[in-house]
Amino acid sequence: MRAYFTDAPKTALSASYWLFVIYLLMPLTLMMAMSFKDANFIAFPISDWTLSWYAKVLQDKQFLHAVGYSVLIASMTTLFATIIGVWIALLISAEGIWGRAAIFALACLPAVVPGLINAISMRIFIRVLDIPTGTGAIILGHTLHAVPFVVIMVLTRLRSMPHNLIDAARDLGADNFIAFIRVTIPYLTPALVGGMIFCVLTSIDDFVRTFFLGGYQATLPMLIFAKVQSGMSPEINAMATVVLVVTAAVGLYAEHFTRRSRT
Amino acid sequence: MADTTMQTSPARQRGAPRYAGWIGKVMGSGAYQLTIGLLANSRRARFVLLLVIPLTWIAMLHIGPIYQMARISLMSTYPASAVGGADYTLDNYLLFFQEPLYFIPFIRSLIFAFVVTLVTLLIVYPVAYYVAKVVTPRNRTRALLLLLVPFWAGEIIRTFSVIMLLANRGAVNVLLRELGFIDRPIPMLYTYFSLSFGVVYLIALYMLLPLYSAIEKIPVSLIDAAADLGAGPLQRFRRVILPLSRDGIVSGCSLVYLTSVGVFAAPLLLGGPNTVIFPEIIATLFHGSSDKWPEGAAFSVIMLAVSLSTVGLFMRIAGGRSVRLM
Repeated sequence: MRAYFTDAPKTALSASYWLFVIYLLMPLTLMMAMSFKDANFIAFPISDWTLSWYAKVLQDKQFLHAVGYSVLIASMTTLFATIIGVWIALLISAEGIWGRAAIFALACLPAVVPGLINAISMRIFIRVLDIPTGTGAIILGHTLHAVPFVVIMVLTRLRSMPHNLIDAARDLGADNFIAFIRVTIPYLTPALVGGMIFCVLTSIDDFVRTFFLGGYQATLPMLIFAKVQSGMSPEINAMATVVLVVTAAVGLYAEHFTRRSRT
Repeated sequence: MADTTMQTSPARQRGAPRYAGWIGKVMGSGAYQLTIGLLANSRRARFVLLLVIPLTWIAMLHIGPIYQMARISLMSTYPASAVGGADYTLDNYLLFFQEPLYFIPFIRSLIFAFVVTLVTLLIVYPVAYYVAKVVTPRNRTRALLLLLVPFWAGEIIRTFSVIMLLANRGAVNVLLRELGFIDRPIPMLYTYFSLSFGVVYLIALYMLLPLYSAIEKIPVSLIDAAADLGAGPLQRFRRVILPLSRDGIVSGCSLVYLTSVGVFAAPLLLGGPNTVIFPEIIATLFHGSSDKWPEGAAFSVIMLAVSLSTVGLFMRIAGGRSVRLM
């Protein structure tokens, strides 16, 4: 490469990368630093440091309840979105299916509709069907949002699947169902793991759908939002830092896992 | 799935397959044989099984909510009055064009999304190029990961973290004052600056990934060839790299535009009274009782139609051969 780049453009590119990294990391770093501030308000500079906000957060009943509630919603979302997403992907990749492009476009529709419109149309929809706002509605909204991404990931993987794998399984005596369970599903594993992690992360992070579909119980983003609006103290920073560190750890582990299974 | 039918294959008649463990037990059971015999091994039943659930889901939940939203946007009152049933009208749509209170924020929202998209493209393009072509393949995953990790923090956490930076007693103002550049803090929060700063911060990833995957696919040999033929860096970029990364630019811009048109959390936390954009207007119509719902639904339909057709037009004009979502 070096021969074709005089040093100036390369330096500029490298500088733009590092500046962008600083741009991405700076606010989060400041937010984490603020969680150690020994005062009741959020302001720089930080002169006294403390861990007491963490002690407070970890004993906070509201916070622990929100964690449990978010995890519940994320796991239900992941379960439903994976099953439905795989099912739709199988349908789209089936032989001799009529209107494949149209089905694919419709399957991707929730991903291109702006988030707010998505949330509002779901709010109207559940009211028309008399579904109460709350846990079920949130899970439905999150599942709807996650399905297109699962479909795309699974379809990409299915396209690279050799056809004769299924034929071989059939020749060895497996019926359709067994062939699906023992051959197709294992082959799809990397896409499934990737899709599931995506479902978990988007569901835990989601704000706008939960805002419109939620009931009285708060998920993690709703709790943090409510706390920010009702007056800020470093407790929010400690709370956000805990959430951030845990999600980043899950993401890094997942990334490590998918990379290892790919090679 | 393969098309061969199973019923007459010799393997089945010999009592095979013989699986060990739970699969063998399940396969041997009468209930399983019956279900499979009825469902999975008849071509038609299999097709129905494959077809019904996904199509029901798509029809119910991918189309249903949008349809209901469009239907309610045409109603004069919601819920429909008990006597005489629903009353359909276009008034809700007319209201949008008559009332500057709604119309102006809408225009503002479109311009805002356009500017954010352009800025994101200009910021992210060199970064994507750097990771895809300058970084050695060995370090590439690490360089990419460094960009991805911040995006695993949720929307609210990232928006909140921007406040740390831009508030009156935030890092930037305190630093500037310590250095003696300013006497009183510059009000940066609750302005267009903080709003666009936050939105770019939230959605840069949607630009980064398509750009990265498009630039990564450009063969280095093409860039080399251009260089051998005497093209300078600028010409190589304009004549080779830019046209070949068009797919990435188009899908990245479309995704960022669609996301920033409907951005909701960022204006709530980072916007002020001077930066009211359309999503906030729509959202207020859905607070409280449902009598404003038809108007809100009509505005949502307008917003959806305009943003989707803008992106459709953009893809048609600028579009490469294939524009993918991811």
